[in-house]
Amino acid sequence: MKKQLVISVMSKDRPGIVADITGTILDLNGDLADLNQSVLGGYFTMILIAEFDDSITPEDVIAKFSHIESETRIEANIKELTIPLETLKNELPKETFVVTGQGENRKGLVKIMGDFFNERNINILDLVTTLDRKLYTMIFQVDLSCIDSVADLRDELASIAEQEQLDLVLQHNDIFRATHEIGTPFDQDMRE
Amino acid sequence: MLRSDQIMATVEMIQKENLDVRTVTMGINLLDCRRDSVKDTCDKVEKKIAEKASMFVETCNKVSMKYGVPVVNKRISVTPASFVGAGFRRNDFVALAKSLDRAAETAEVDILGGFSAQVEKGLTDTDKEFIASIPRALEETERLCASINVGSSQKGINMDAVAMMGKTIKELSERTADNGGFGAAKFVVFCNQPGDNPFMAGAIHGVEEAEVVLNVGVSGPGVIARSLEKTIKKRGRKNLKLDDIAEEIKQITFRVTRCGELIGRQVSQELGVEFGVIDLSLAPTPKVGDSVGEILQILGVDEVGAPGSTAILALLNDAVKKGGIFASKAVGGLSGAFIPVMEDAVLAEAVGKGALTLEKLEAMTCVCSVGLDMVPIPGDVDAATISAIIADEMALGMINQKTTAARLIPVPGKTVGEMVSFGGLFGASPIMQVLNVGKSERFISWGGRIPAPIHSFKN
Repeated sequence: MKKQLVISVMSKDRPGIVADITGTILDLNGDLADLNQSVLGGYFTMILIAEFDDSITPEDVIAKFSHIESETRIEANIKELTIPLETLKNELPKETFVVTGQGENRKGLVKIMGDFFNERNINILDLVTTLDRKLYTMIFQVDLSCIDSVADLRDELASIAEQEQLDLVLQHNDIFRATHEIGTPFDQDMRE
Repeated sequence: MLRSDQIMATVEMIQKENLDVRTVTMGINLLDCRRDSVKDTCDKVEKKIAEKASMFVETCNKVSMKYGVPVVNKRISVTPASFVGAGFRRNDFVALAKSLDRAAETAEVDILGGFSAQVEKGLTDTDKEFIASIPRALEETERLCASINVGSSQKGINMDAVAMMGKTIKELSERTADNGGFGAAKFVVFCNQPGDNPFMAGAIHGVEEAEVVLNVGVSGPGVIARSLEKTIKKRGRKNLKLDDIAEEIKQITFRVTRCGELIGRQVSQELGVEFGVIDLSLAPTPKVGDSVGEILQILGVDEVGAPGSTAILALLNDAVKKGGIFASKAVGGLSGAFIPVMEDAVLAEAVGKGALTLEKLEAMTCVCSVGLDMVPIPGDVDAATISAIIADEMALGMINQKTTAARLIPVPGKTVGEMVSFGGLFGASPIMQVLNVGKSERFISWGGRIPAPIHSFKN
């Protein structure tokens, strides 16, 4: 029997950290599946899925991580994956849109948008925010499958933008694919 | 994974640099509308356009709202009317013109193109009746545009037709004298007219086209101008060479084209209509900041028309094509920079200052599309001189195997330097000087044809 573990790791970034973490997983005879990593403010974070023999427990993995020498301790969180990985690998929903928001930095900006989406049952698929001097930029990738009228949503965004002094723009995700990728989103649509 | 710099660059292009889809044009075949009587034919034409275009504007608006990219103009082009009304007399063609005008109104499009004929090699009896109908047809309709193809690189130039064009333009202008000769702004003469051009006044649904097709004209020059200004500011003028500028234009055109094709294909999919082509033309509007002339100024001439203008335009035109052709699955139409004097505020200003002359404009049309476009000239310029200007422009197209056109507007009662304004997208400009008026009569009175050019020894 095999089991799949979802492992999230955080530590101060340094050369060799990916080698150390993946080396540990290999030592435990783990097989890597999906992995995502990011570095923010000098801190390294990684979330990955790996398959292990049934006898390996989350505690074994954490114990092994503790042997990695690093400026800060490797912090890890581990959960066992109960849903088969394949069913999680859906394409982006057809009605994936991007909402960008910019405004002068202050507390609670992401919360304002989070509430806005939550009130409308809109799922946030991806989120990136940056602070550049006083300008705060938020980019939400959202699933609007549950929205009846994009026109109405635009009006609602316009009114919250005015209320909160934010520059909010809603664009379909395909616009970004069309302008940033070599392949074209319309080819994919045609095949469907 | 979201890349914030790329996302914000695209958002800026759409929001701040006014990226839009300039036009979505539905081409409709009308060849099957011919009936025994003029009335039945006209009825069938109206019915067919109403049926095919019933959801057109609504769908464009819906897709535009969904994607957050404005579709500025929704237009219709039809099979050249001279084919649809073969055997009609001039009054019959006027009736057909009115039907087309009503059909455009019903479909809620502002312009319908295709009141047209193709006479590059010879004139049929129908063609002669059709051409005779044009002044009245355009005087008595609002939304209709007319065009005549008088030359091609394969067939040469039909100089009998060219002679008729001067007279037609004069009559059009005189019939609409109360409105500055506006009738002539809805009429364009072509060499190598494409059958899939979505831009007016020269859009037709060519006889080689499918039953119904959607062609898309992408955004205007404003996006390129703003993007170049930004790049020059960011990287510093000293650190840029012209090949960097060309590369920047290519990249921005790639993005603009992709947006246009995405919208166009979505509209065509929703309507169940074949997608035709993306036309990469940079079409200016009289709006400040949406000018091809401004790009020439950004790239280094203080006034449009100054030496260097032709070379810059060549660079611009070519870079736009290179970026757009890679971006799109199907490029067609005119696909080049337009320099319509009245529709481009910076060009009009250059005319007023005497920097841009008709002769320089003609030279510039050698390296871009579409020709001497929206050029207001004094009302007293004679028909033969107008025909001769057209002949010169047609010769450029014929020899260089490209589309050229002439949309000359003699403004009744006005002369060089006086302003003429048609408002809206048609714009305004001081009237351009025409040198050597009245000195081409003997040439135009020959008639006959300028034979097709040799297609080898191209030096």
